[in-house]
Amino acid sequence: MKHFKKTKTESKKHQKVLNELIMVLGGEKVLSAIEDRICYSYDGTKQKALPDIVVRPGCTSDVSNTLKIANKYEIPIYARGAGTGLTGGAVPLMGGIVLDLKSMNRIIEICPEDFVATVEPGVVTKHFQDEIAKFDLFYPPDPSSAAFSTIGGNVAECAGGITGLKYGVTRDYILALEIVLSDGSVINTGRKTLRSVTGYDLTRLFIGSEGTLGVFTRITVKLIPKPKKIETLAAYFSDRDDAIDAADLIIDNNILPRTLEFMDQMTISAVRGYGEAPIGEDVKALLLIDIDGTEESISHELPVVENACKEKKAFKTKVAETPRERESIWAVRRSISPALYNIAPHKINEDICVPRSKIKEILQKVDQINEHQTIYIANFGHIGDGNIHVNIMYNDDPGQAALAESIVNKIMREVVAVGGTISGEHGIGNKKSQFMELEISPKELAIMKRFKGFFDPKGIMNPGKMFI
Amino acid sequence: MSTDWKTEVDKCSKCGKCHTVCPVFLETGDESMVSRGRISLAEALRDKQIVYTDKLRDYVYSCKKCMRCRTVCPSGVDYEVIISALLSGVAENMGIPLLPRIIFRYILPRRILFDLMLKVSSKIQWLIPMKRRGQMRHLPLLFMGKRWIPTLAKKTALQKFRKTKKLKNPKMRVGLFTGCLINYIYVDIAEAVVDVLNRMNIEVVVPQGQLCCGTPSSTMGDFKSTKKLADVNKEVFESQKLDAIVTACATCTKAIKMDYLRTLGPSWQSMSDKIYDISEFIDKYCGDEYETKPIDEKVTYHDPCHLLWVRGISDEPRNVLKKSSDFVEMDQAGACCGGGGIFTIIHYDLTLKMLERKVASIERSGADTVATNCPGCVMQIADGFAGKNSKIKTTHSIQILQKALVDSGINKEK
Repeated sequence: MKHFKKTKTESKKHQKVLNELIMVLGGEKVLSAIEDRICYSYDGTKQKALPDIVVRPGCTSDVSNTLKIANKYEIPIYARGAGTGLTGGAVPLMGGIVLDLKSMNRIIEICPEDFVATVEPGVVTKHFQDEIAKFDLFYPPDPSSAAFSTIGGNVAECAGGITGLKYGVTRDYILALEIVLSDGSVINTGRKTLRSVTGYDLTRLFIGSEGTLGVFTRITVKLIPKPKKIETLAAYFSDRDDAIDAADLIIDNNILPRTLEFMDQMTISAVRGYGEAPIGEDVKALLLIDIDGTEESISHELPVVENACKEKKAFKTKVAETPRERESIWAVRRSISPALYNIAPHKINEDICVPRSKIKEILQKVDQINEHQTIYIANFGHIGDGNIHVNIMYNDDPGQAALAESIVNKIMREVVAVGGTISGEHGIGNKKSQFMELEISPKELAIMKRFKGFFDPKGIMNPGKMFI
Repeated sequence: MSTDWKTEVDKCSKCGKCHTVCPVFLETGDESMVSRGRISLAEALRDKQIVYTDKLRDYVYSCKKCMRCRTVCPSGVDYEVIISALLSGVAENMGIPLLPRIIFRYILPRRILFDLMLKVSSKIQWLIPMKRRGQMRHLPLLFMGKRWIPTLAKKTALQKFRKTKKLKNPKMRVGLFTGCLINYIYVDIAEAVVDVLNRMNIEVVVPQGQLCCGTPSSTMGDFKSTKKLADVNKEVFESQKLDAIVTACATCTKAIKMDYLRTLGPSWQSMSDKIYDISEFIDKYCGDEYETKPIDEKVTYHDPCHLLWVRGISDEPRNVLKKSSDFVEMDQAGACCGGGGIFTIIHYDLTLKMLERKVASIERSGADTVATNCPGCVMQIADGFAGKNSKIKTTHSIQILQKALVDSGINKEK
């Protein structure tokens, strides 16, 4: 774990910050025991760095007061939702204060008549989805961590998820934000209306800003009517390209499935034992498809989808008959990310996104890059969006880590070369900051850094992330 | 303690999925009170970054050991190995408080002393004002809680069933592991088990030498005491010729069926295979045979953590209840009732919050009675209703079957 040796003046400053925080927020919301600091030192990347202080704010003014103090003493500050991010966004790389927003977890209001709702950042996404479902409403962004990640974290990373093809990603549902800036001042962006073009779109600037520009304290989201019905279909292929062709054909038939998920052979081998019905050895690629809508629309679309799969040589298709079967199919999908550790103990999890027409090409390139097969690569993901999770799995043998890094490097170059992006939904964090300049030109990078400098002149907001 | 935990912690991918099921985390949202956090603390202990402190002990004790996290963990972390190592580390490095230490080491292994201790306390329990019918989950911690236990039975289950009722041509011969709560307080549950099984033509032996299952000592990291108890129980049950061993306590089932495999090693496997929860046993061996006249009550079922999450048993008790009553399902039937050993003492406020939720779920179900398969849950939930002067009754599911069972078919010759 990263420890920071402190000089005498530094530890004096640190003690002052701690005292001030306790005075303003009260002792219960400020944690500094080593046991607590350890519990807020990591995120879903397994990286660790020890914060000096953990603050658990209860309201906007707590956040504002914390930032005022951090700003005054120029102490780094890291907003944290559930700590489930996959690029290191919540890891306190340079020490300082972790702001645990999990404690701000109220749903402020749900307005069924306006199709909007306002929440605090610590609300768990799935919990929110369940609450609005009571009003027959739907908030589609559905990262596979939805049952434990927070909306605040989702907005900060602009999380995607499996419903992206039809319904878009987190960005498409955020109407307004209350944000605390690095000096502790509070701003409001956007309106609680379904449209607003007044002024620059600051809301969008902050979505996906990974805690480097400000801390969200209230989030207003757009809701849509909840689809009446969902049907799930799994299609099994003996060839990867067939599965990709099938996905294309489904969309060519003017159908946007609610989800269109792809798994390659290596991925299937990792999760083989997870479902109720184990997946056979002969399955080389898998499509998991959800169709939603009304009874009538589904009865029209489902056969079209099934036929498309069969036309592209799916050797088996299976429609889930019961909610339990459906859940079982999707449980396998949700297990992928951590189950990959069954292949090897270390993982570099990339979330490249390419134009759909380039999927075959990029997967072939990945194969070529790893042709000697000393490292395992598992590919799966949201094929309808061209968003593929490329997971490079490696073990502890000497040289493996460096080899994995070099493979990632090569893959990133190919992705950008075919017109793709280095991150479809996980964000940049510190894990991918080295690849930023592959995709973003110096001029645009400079503009981004000017924004960063404007909102965070002292560089205290999540330092070490996004930019090198 | 073995060192397996040192490698086990590395399996945790820090994904955070344990957040979704941990009953303690759902109340607190506190990362130090969920498996991912405790695993990180174990890592830090291993790497000598921290030492055992009061704070660490509280975080370790905040675990209910319900093992939900292990069930959902996509990385296959055996959390029980890790939490056991932490508990044992706390015990070794910080000691176990005097009273439980005496109880674990000197009283639990000696049935006479245990009986005597409880007899004495039953004589003096009137000294404590019983404003509310409170309880403690595990008897040995009797004197440490903020609440008092229900009245102790005059005659323990072991005393009551000293003699085995012989059946003419029994279908099977099973042993009953009573467990402390049933032995000393809920003797009626033991009576129901014996009665129901006898009426199903199954002979029930209640081996006299049996002791506490050892959960209370394990919970406080005193695995040596657990081992002593396990050794005795092993001898006592192996010396009987039994087709099966049944318990009516979810926690005891977990202890003697699962935990003993670690405590006693693989030699316990053949016995472990024969151990059943009472509903599981009835469903498996008598499921199609017995007849009932369902009682005229709406009954719902609460899943004890140690049955649902450790053993995956949920259908069996429901099958029995559906045959015996007008069964209704409650929402969140698998949510923890908040009971459970040391947790209820150190984190009393959380216990109450969990209990409140459970009570509300039961009320929403519209049931007249809530049944469950663990005397600990019975005690906890009954306490929740006692405080509210509610009419809803709390009982063990075997007692519902006892009322509904009709003597015909297999049990005709009786």
